[in-house]
Amino acid sequence: MIPRRKKRLAMVLSLVVGVGIAMTFILLALSKNVDLFYTPSQMLEGEHKPQVGQRLRVGGMVVEGSVKRDANTLEVEFLVTDTGPTVKVLYQGILPDLFREGQGIVAQGVLQEGNVVKATEVLAKHDEEYMPPELAEAMKGIKHVNPNSNEAYTKPPSGGN
Amino acid sequence: MWRWLHPYAKGEASYHLLGRWLPWLTASALLVLLIGIGWGLVFAPPDYQQGDSYRIIFIHVPSAMLSMGTYTGMAIAALVALVWQIRTAEWSIAAIAPVGAVLTFISLLTGAAWGKPMWGTWWEWDARMTSQLILLFLYLGVLALYHAFSDNRTGAKAASILALVGVVNIPIIHFSVYWWNSLHQGATITKFAKPSMPPEMYIPLFVCIFGFMLMTAAFITQRLRHEILRQELHRPWVQQLLVGAKVKEQ
Amino acid sequence: MNKASYRSLVVALMQRDFKVAMRRKSDSINPLLFVLMVVTLFPIAVGPSHEVLGRIAPGVIWVVALLASLLGSERLFRDDYLDGSLEQMVLSPAPLELLALAKISSHWLLSGLPLVILSPFCALLLKLPIEGWLTLMLTLLLGTPILSAMTAIGAALTVSLGRGGALLSLLLLPLFIPLLIFATAAVDSSLLGMPAIGQLLFLAGFMVLTLTLAPLAVAAAIKVSVN
Repeated sequence: MIPRRKKRLAMVLSLVVGVGIAMTFILLALSKNVDLFYTPSQMLEGEHKPQVGQRLRVGGMVVEGSVKRDANTLEVEFLVTDTGPTVKVLYQGILPDLFREGQGIVAQGVLQEGNVVKATEVLAKHDEEYMPPELAEAMKGIKHVNPNSNEAYTKPPSGGN
Repeated sequence: MWRWLHPYAKGEASYHLLGRWLPWLTASALLVLLIGIGWGLVFAPPDYQQGDSYRIIFIHVPSAMLSMGTYTGMAIAALVALVWQIRTAEWSIAAIAPVGAVLTFISLLTGAAWGKPMWGTWWEWDARMTSQLILLFLYLGVLALYHAFSDNRTGAKAASILALVGVVNIPIIHFSVYWWNSLHQGATITKFAKPSMPPEMYIPLFVCIFGFMLMTAAFITQRLRHEILRQELHRPWVQQLLVGAKVKEQ
Repeated sequence: MNKASYRSLVVALMQRDFKVAMRRKSDSINPLLFVLMVVTLFPIAVGPSHEVLGRIAPGVIWVVALLASLLGSERLFRDDYLDGSLEQMVLSPAPLELLALAKISSHWLLSGLPLVILSPFCALLLKLPIEGWLTLMLTLLLGTPILSAMTAIGAALTVSLGRGGALLSLLLLPLFIPLLIFATAAVDSSLLGMPAIGQLLFLAGFMVLTLTLAPLAVAAAIKVSVN
């Protein structure tokens, strides 16, 4: 082969091999799931359970009817779940607008005895679906509550204090 | 096609071509943006969960999309500049970078304003937001490198190489929400399937995106014309242009 | 020119780099001293409590490593540029990409590797819990080649500028952010008793990718700068 062409071939080959190896590593890494948070099932049944006193983030859905607020302070507690087990979250502070029962949230805090997370921060996560209130009501049976009104947080039966 | 494109590698021809496009671009950008933003902010229905706050999407999504789009455009210009040594392509890097940086900044700003009421935080160091911030730094770096050299050609080439290195960041931004358990939601309209919004929301959103495209194109056109003039200042055609302008003034 | 003579060129280039480094030992020792000094500043500044220091240790060590890699970065191609050997590299029959890779390797051996070796000592000073030590060293082992490669790109781009130092840092630091995120996340997760393999695999992927692509960018940048 002409040396020039041989040089080019060697270069292209090493590029292909290098990029290939890198992609393999990255795909392997992606399959290892580098997460922003634990889900409740990972926390309680997963391979690497967090220990008491550990700082962690837990993400999941707020269980319907589990939100309990203190009448006088900003203290609030609620249950978070994904598919099976639930984790209790204690929090003191202002919750984001989107915090509602049945809504996805991420709480950051310290794990305490008995699957309780004392949260220092509660963030709400929402999906990429947007729809007008009438449509949502028709499709999902979700009633729109204006996030600026007080009703958004308190949904009586088991709520309140 | 090459025969058709070739004259525009020269400053003069492209200056006049861009000058002919500019009024149309500006007028249509203003019109489309007015319609899109007015429609989105006033007439589109509120969201079932977020109420009126979601309306910031009509600015956030177009600016974020365009910030990545203009970067891709800049990288293509950089490749053309390096491979075919076309000067207009080199100058368009300087024309595109500031516009892209401003778009990135707008998307970060509106994202923060949207995140505070909805997620409960202005800023979170997760993959989507961090990679978008890096995009801003990349734009600024390209710009800084472009202007750092006393010899413009060297600066343009160095900036081109940096722009090409930075392309790695674009797929990271796009896929970050799928690869990591990010706080940021997935894409609403980039999937080829049906957008996950009803038409009375996505039509104004598309209009806004189109308006942002036209606006970006108009800004880049204008900036590129300035850059051409700045670079070709000593050429006779620019001097004639300037003399002509002066005569008209008097 | 055959393969063997390319190899001898690469070896000669690296030997020269080592010889220069041996003659001017302070150039390679100063960044390490800088790392140690900054690391000792932290316990003084934030107080010697185990809890706080252990929490911030991975981040501090990594940030200091980034800053130290910027210290000598300007010199990477500067001397070669001034004495004309960079031009010789461009003109040599061996592919410039290969020579760029050789420069990156010798830079890593002279600046990255000593940092990896020094890191347990920094971890000791900052009271990093013992579970994190191995991961910290692994992240540095995988991360410092990326630092060397990126630094080489930046240095090659700015070599013809007389005063490229500040600009170089501005260009390089944002590109280091992903590295910083994955490296500290890896150490953090092993401190929490979780496996760090995911983040380490990411770092390994980044490392191979940068080492594959960076020589191309460095070669292109050198050609632009030497012109």
